[in-house]
Amino acid sequence: MVEVLLMTHVLFGVACMLAAVWLFVDVLQISDANIVRVRVVSWLAAAFMWVAFLAGGYWYVTFYKFDKAIILKGPWKFSHNMVMETKEHLVIMLLLLATYLPIAASEELASSKGARKLLLWVAALVALLALGMDGEGGIIAMGVKVGLLPK
Amino acid sequence: MENNTISKRSIGFGLALAIASIINAIIVVVKERNDAIMNGMKKITGHHWTTHSLIVLVLFFALGGVLTLAKGGRGFDMSAGRLVGIVTSSVAAAGLIIVGFYLFGD
Repeated sequence: MVEVLLMTHVLFGVACMLAAVWLFVDVLQISDANIVRVRVVSWLAAAFMWVAFLAGGYWYVTFYKFDKAIILKGPWKFSHNMVMETKEHLVIMLLLLATYLPIAASEELASSKGARKLLLWVAALVALLALGMDGEGGIIAMGVKVGLLPK
Repeated sequence: MENNTISKRSIGFGLALAIASIINAIIVVVKERNDAIMNGMKKITGHHWTTHSLIVLVLFFALGGVLTLAKGGRGFDMSAGRLVGIVTSSVAAAGLIIVGFYLFGD
C-alpha cells in the first residue's frame, strides 16, 4: 500500500511534467484547431499535480519518518537535510504554478501574444520544477538505499 | 488581429502566485528558526508541513480572488510582460531563499 502511494506520487508528478511540456509545444503552435486541446491539457497538468501532491503529502506526513531514520543513520544524510527539506517546500510552489496553468490557458491565446507569453513561461516553470522534484526524489530514494547497505 | 491583453483574473491570480511563493519561503525560514512557531504549526494540523501548505494554498486562492475583484471589480491593469517578470522573479527568489537556507543557513 505504501509503495503504491509513493509510486502514485511519482507517476502523477511525471505526468504533470509531460503535460506541461506538451502544453508548451502546443502553445507555440496555437491556432483555433488546438486551443481546446491546450485548455484540456492545462487542466490535466493541474489535476495530475494535485494527485501527486496529495499522494506524496500523505506519504510524507505518515510514512517518511521511517525512511528519514534510515537516511540519517547512513552516509547520505544530505538527502534528507538538504534535498528532502527543499523538495517539501519547493513542491508547494510547483502546485501553485500548476494550478495557475488553467487560469492562464483560459485567455484568448490565439489573438493575444501576451497571453501566450504568460502561459509559455508558467508551463516552462512547471516542467523545470517538476523535473527538479523528480531528480530530488531519486536522490532521497538513493539516500535510503545507501543507508540500508551493510557497513 | 494580434493584441497583448490579459484578463484581470490572470493578473489577480498571477500576483497572488508571486506573493504566495515569497510567503512560502519566508515561512520556511521563520518556522525553522523559531521553535515556538514550528511547534504551533505542528499543533494546528498534526504536522508543520500540512499547516504550511494550507497557509500558502489558502493565501493563494484568497489573494487571487481579492486581487481579481480589486478596484470595484475592475481588477489590476498590467502588461503580460510585467506580470511574467513578477511571477518568474518571485518564483526564482523564493526558490533561492529555500535552497540557500537549507544549504547555508540551517
